[in-house]
Amino acid sequence: MFASVPSAMLRGARGQAVQVEVHLGKGLPGLHIVGLPDESIREARDRARAALASSGFDWPNHLITISLAPCDGRKTGSGLDLAIAVGVLVVAGFIDVSRIEGLAFIGELGLDGSVRPIRGVVPIVAAIENSDVVVPASTLVEANIAARGQVHPVRTLRELLATLCDGEPWPDHEPRGPDIAPLHVPDLCEVQGQPLARLALEIAAAGAHHSLFMGPPGSGKTMLASRLPGILPPLERAQALEATMVHSAAGAPLPPSGLIERPPFRAPHHTSSQVAIIGGGSQVARPGEVSLAHHGVLFLDEIAEFPASVLDSLRQPLEDGVVLPHRSQLRDPMPARFLLIAAMNPCPCGGGGGPGDCTCGDAALQRYTRRLSGPVLDRFDLRVNVHRPAIDEIMASEPGEPSSVVAARVLEARRKALDRQACLNRSIEPADLDRFAPLEPAARARLRHEMERGRLSGRGYHRVRRVARTIADLREGCSAAISEADAALALELRAPLSRAQQGRAA
Amino acid sequence: MSCPSSTPPEGYLASLAGFDRMTTARLASLLAHHDPVAAFHVAVGDAPPPPGIGALLAKDDTLAETWRRDGRLRDPAECWQRCVDTGTTVIAHDDPRYPAALFHDPRAPAVLFVRGDLSMLDARRVGIVGTRNATQRGRETAAEFGFELSALGVTVVSGLAKGIDGAAHRGALAHPDARPLAVVGNGPDAPYPKQHASLWAEVSARGAVVSEWPPGTRPDAFRFPLRNRILAALVEVLVVVESRERGGSLITAKEAGERGVELFAVPGPVDSRASAGTNQLLCDGAAPATSVDDLMMALGLDQRRAGRTRFDGRRRPDGDGVDVLGHCRQGARTIEQLMLLLDRPIADTAMIVARLEHDGWLRETGGWFETIDVWGDLA
Repeated sequence: MFASVPSAMLRGARGQAVQVEVHLGKGLPGLHIVGLPDESIREARDRARAALASSGFDWPNHLITISLAPCDGRKTGSGLDLAIAVGVLVVAGFIDVSRIEGLAFIGELGLDGSVRPIRGVVPIVAAIENSDVVVPASTLVEANIAARGQVHPVRTLRELLATLCDGEPWPDHEPRGPDIAPLHVPDLCEVQGQPLARLALEIAAAGAHHSLFMGPPGSGKTMLASRLPGILPPLERAQALEATMVHSAAGAPLPPSGLIERPPFRAPHHTSSQVAIIGGGSQVARPGEVSLAHHGVLFLDEIAEFPASVLDSLRQPLEDGVVLPHRSQLRDPMPARFLLIAAMNPCPCGGGGGPGDCTCGDAALQRYTRRLSGPVLDRFDLRVNVHRPAIDEIMASEPGEPSSVVAARVLEARRKALDRQACLNRSIEPADLDRFAPLEPAARARLRHEMERGRLSGRGYHRVRRVARTIADLREGCSAAISEADAALALELRAPLSRAQQGRAA
Repeated sequence: MSCPSSTPPEGYLASLAGFDRMTTARLASLLAHHDPVAAFHVAVGDAPPPPGIGALLAKDDTLAETWRRDGRLRDPAECWQRCVDTGTTVIAHDDPRYPAALFHDPRAPAVLFVRGDLSMLDARRVGIVGTRNATQRGRETAAEFGFELSALGVTVVSGLAKGIDGAAHRGALAHPDARPLAVVGNGPDAPYPKQHASLWAEVSARGAVVSEWPPGTRPDAFRFPLRNRILAALVEVLVVVESRERGGSLITAKEAGERGVELFAVPGPVDSRASAGTNQLLCDGAAPATSVDDLMMALGLDQRRAGRTRFDGRRRPDGDGVDVLGHCRQGARTIEQLMLLLDRPIADTAMIVARLEHDGWLRETGGWFETIDVWGDLA
């Protein structure tokens, strides 16, 4: 007897369809699983046997061979349990093979016959084509997001078999979203004062410019960064689906609707390991923070405290928008296209305010700033000095501009950029800058002067022009060329890293 | 220990002074009983020590071991060669060239290493010291004082550190007749900090660089407070331009106070951290130094001069630029503060500020803008 049951498993941040083929033949009774199963799948036989017994079925006393096709490539995860159990029931003759036609099965089995949720239902279901799919009831919301056919939720194996064997209708379970409060996105109106930093945030959002905020403790760097998602436009359907898949694959909580519609905001701590941030793992590649921030914001607070190895491994995702785990077994790229926002103190002592306030020695200062390698530092289009707001500003009664107003400007500026060059301003090629971001003579002279003084490198010149383009886009009306004021502001938003770097080209 | 007999006693001094854990007191007591050659042999254990040193060596056998090792490492002939190569003069306490101002000091260095010529010590001497992390205003004040004092024939003594020290010497050297003196905390041959290499060379060419330590000594942190006492002893008047609550310049001020040197401090804004130490000195009784005239009075050289002005070739700011400069003169400002003060959009403010920076009126540090006055190019 032979049966073939479609299922799927998680591979990195994507799903992979797996055909569970079950053969029942002569020989000493036993169960073999082939097709490079890992330990979690080999244990499936014990779970399936117990679940069947608990559900009132006898395990067939024959030699059963299970093949997980395609047979090359490691198979992993307990999500194939249900498909294995169904396959065994088919070859044992309990289920008629015609009943499972056009059905795929996903779910982990409990020894009592319950069907349990697994991690990554969204990408797994997305990998199943041309079939309806049976999923654990508690993952119904997730499955609905990506399913192409019908979704049938089940709580127990017995419930499933009532439908498949006895022809009862599919059980009807209410889709229940995860029990988490909707993500609260703080509003920009709570930020008092800080006009330069607020503007920098707006520019970062409009042009998708990676930004570094530098300022003493208590100047509001984290407060500002956490408000960035609130002024970014909501995700488009395709982006939302990609982001949701990554979150589902990582087992990260999803919003009640199941679909991530707001740009995610991830703020890993600087003690996080490289794997936690970049992703990876020994057997199973798990998405890291950079992938969870896909289409959203990755916020690195105290970026100088991150290990240099972690920061350097950010270069690939910053460049390509994907992460490739560096393991022989794991070659699946994971998406990681994010807006990088970083914050740091100007120096280890935390400084305070004006010139002459810092107590750091030069050596300590250099040690601190050297931790940010040039290539990483170079990715930041904006480097903004954030100052502690004056007492008057903190006590001011009138609130700042709310996020909704800023978000409208950001959306408009993004639309201008996309209409003009079909990409956001961060990604304008240097060759296209003269076409899309022409400079007025005074602006050109200002930039030229900076370069002559050795304070602006060639690469910095391109970055300043892109930022200036965004500044011009954010203004009302349409200005084709970049004015001197735009260029001056873009230069102001490209502060040297510290007084150790004062006057050096960047 | 065999050394060629051609090595002069100075070579032995250069070797001894560079021994690990060789303090001023130990070197002085060694040299009090012996000539340099004999002192060297005593220190490395080749000859019986005199009673005082003997007790010391007996009490601490690691010291004897250290010195025996250093005696092997620091061959007097090589040390002497290094002095010759770097143009360093070795002046022992009993040398007629030894500065009179230091001779009777309770903690006078037993030996001095000098690059340059110490004859400027015959002139009146004012020390200018201050923090390394200074404000633009502080450095400009130091440069101005350095220049004016040099113009009046007063020797400017400082430490060649970053910030105030360097600015004082740059200001002094801007006058063609300046003969500045630098007292440093490492060997007189190697510039420290490295950025001051050219300044260091010019000071030693036109004036002198003095150290208690032989050529090749590294700038260890403990040497700088010791250096400060020499600086304090060599000057008649000491000005602290800027200093935080704690700092090396306050050590110099304390040493100066113990030696009866007249102490001045430049007053700063009460809320400026860079002036916290100097303002405290003023509270504690230091005299305020608001211009070079104050210092000249203290030296008994009341030379009121017609306001000497330096040529200022910068393009005069106009319109909002004048307002921005006015605001920044009252203290460092951020662009956000300027924007509110001017009531202009931030991009316009950035442009005004950028133009002022371009014309040399403003300087930015960590997002703070300070004015540059006519001494700015030396600060």
